Amino acid sequence: MINSHKGLRKTALVAAITALGLLITGCGIGSSKNSDPLVIGISLPLTGDFSQPGGAAKKGYEVWASLVNEEGGVLGQQVELNILDDASSAEQVVTDYNRLINQDKVPLILGTFSSLLNFPASTVAENNQMVLVAPAGGSPKIFEPMPKYYFFAQQATAPRQAEPFVNYILSLPESERPKTAAYATMDDPFAAPVISNMQALFEAAGIKTVYSKVYPPETTNFQPFASAIAKAKPDIIAQGAVFEDGVNLAKGLIQIGYSPKAMFQTSAPSNGAQYSDAIGLANTEGIFYAVSWSEKAPTPMNAEFVARYQKLFGEGLVPEEDAADAFAAAQVLQAAVEGTKGTDNVALADWLRANEVQTILGPLSWDEIGRPQGDFLLAQWQSGEVNIVAPEGAKTSNNLIFPKPAWSK
Amino acid sequence: MEIIQVLSFGLLLGGLYSLLSSGLALIFGVLDIVNVAQGAFLVSGAFLTWQIWESTGIEPILLIPVVALLWFGLGIVIYRTLFVRVAPQGPSMTVLLSFGLALIIEGALNLIFGNKFKSVQTSYSLKSYKLGEINFPAPQVIASLAAAVVLVLLYLYLKLSWAGRALRATAQNRDGAALIGISHRKISSFAYGLGMATAGAGGVLISVSYPIYPATHYEWISKLLGIIVLGGMGSIPGAILGSMLLGIVEAAGNTYAPQWTILFFYGVIILSLLFKPEGLLGARSRKDSV
Repeated sequence: MINSHKGLRKTALVAAITALGLLITGCGIGSSKNSDPLVIGISLPLTGDFSQPGGAAKKGYEVWASLVNEEGGVLGQQVELNILDDASSAEQVVTDYNRLINQDKVPLILGTFSSLLNFPASTVAENNQMVLVAPAGGSPKIFEPMPKYYFFAQQATAPRQAEPFVNYILSLPESERPKTAAYATMDDPFAAPVISNMQALFEAAGIKTVYSKVYPPETTNFQPFASAIAKAKPDIIAQGAVFEDGVNLAKGLIQIGYSPKAMFQTSAPSNGAQYSDAIGLANTEGIFYAVSWSEKAPTPMNAEFVARYQKLFGEGLVPEEDAADAFAAAQVLQAAVEGTKGTDNVALADWLRANEVQTILGPLSWDEIGRPQGDFLLAQWQSGEVNIVAPEGAKTSNNLIFPKPAWSK
Repeated sequence: MEIIQVLSFGLLLGGLYSLLSSGLALIFGVLDIVNVAQGAFLVSGAFLTWQIWESTGIEPILLIPVVALLWFGLGIVIYRTLFVRVAPQGPSMTVLLSFGLALIIEGALNLIFGNKFKSVQTSYSLKSYKLGEINFPAPQVIASLAAAVVLVLLYLYLKLSWAGRALRATAQNRDGAALIGISHRKISSFAYGLGMATAGAGGVLISVSYPIYPATHYEWISKLLGIIVLGGMGSIPGAILGSMLLGIVEAAGNTYAPQWTILFFYGVIILSLLFKPEGLLGARSRKDSV
């Protein structure tokens, strides 16, 4: 009896010491609430060709970390961002993610910017079985290897970006519908599929192609393009643009004085004042583009995102779409971590394939290989500001400008 | 008619490239320095122009003398503090130094102006002149004319002034120039300053023609290096001829087969080097062994 009593005391003592040890080391049972930060590794193009979207994405991630940390962090841990600069280099992005995963041993990573950089980044993520939620990178090429850990955090992949515009044009009465179209696109893994898909859809609907060219990213002089397009007299001009090329083609068309009935560009018009300063605010009137986010959207956390962005980076500033995309990517990762109550990346990937996530872009969900299943928004410059004109549920204006007014030189 | 339009676009482009590449050719001709930072000096000149235009609304073209003079002074300081120490180590070290400078300038521009495109808007930014069916975009016409004026002034200065003659003498025969009392150190910093001044003037001109962004210096320097290799390293007339040829090649490529423009641009350079390795107007150099 005495022996068993002694044994009981011994067991209790061991249990108490173990519990104390667990408390001291912070290894609690169940959800891990501890003082160590949850480090998220990110590589971004902060210098080089993609430094503009890279810088915006950094802001988006920082706004997310700021808001999340204010609310107590993720699973009780404060978030810390470990951001490296990949200098817009596909080689450096591979080095960066390998370093973050294998040397810095970060438990989570988030994506970089552009399809060009997320493609090599996704290979590193696959090899290391790490979930990579990417704020940009919807090129179909990325999904060809059937990734298991790559999730694109926008509404749809690149080719589908054209659909809202195509649907609108094809919804016009036969008498008003444009008959011809001109296409010019940068040889870019995101921009080119948008335009080639649009061309295929329009051609199938009987809209004749009168000009179609692909140009390399180094192209800076667009007067020859504008001149050749004007000669073909298209009703629609669609350009797979990044920024500078979009501005320069628009300027070339303005200088020549050729204004189509409808003009669609990827990415460039989404750059707010940078775009309107370059081509003149009055000349933006009626220009269409597909977009993933609007500052006016009534999505959960959107108002908080805009307010915190302005608090951190300047009152009155409108966040870049790229910043919003990065914020949404971080929201997706946060939802998966909270959904699985941990950072097991295999579990995170399974959870994302099975669940829908509410983000500032709207609800996002994915198929088996990480392709989002939603629809882009169709935006149009109207009276010096941007409005969402489709789809129905996301409209910020019921007014739609067609045909596009003549350029105002 | 289309051919005439393409030629006009090409010549306007070539006119601008002429000024931008002449400074690079001058620096190489006198100093044997492949100044990889020239594109960054060009873009920083454009940013300075944008900043002054944004603050004062002044016509940007009027800023050419101001920016050129500032860049001339800056060039002398950079040469005397940095290149003068590194130049004796050989051409590869000066390339490394100028590449380092380019990266520092890009980083500084990012910090000061942010990762955003800036555009200078003038009364002629969106206008074009017409001659029958031929269009001449006004910003390119004005930039090319201004480039021609700067190049003529540069030519007259090099031809008629003592400093210009000393500079040409050094470019032709460094040791001979030294024997007649031309200080290599002084003439070198002067040449670097002059090269920088053309980058300052060129920066003003690109600000009225294109949106500007810190990282665009890579695009500029790769084009300009191609031009001076085609024209003949160190030859200003060669740089002008190379600019005109490649301007036309670029305009024709963008009109007929844009996806091949880069191949045409560098293909012309490779072809010319196969048949004339010293460049179109370059002199065959001979390294005497002592």
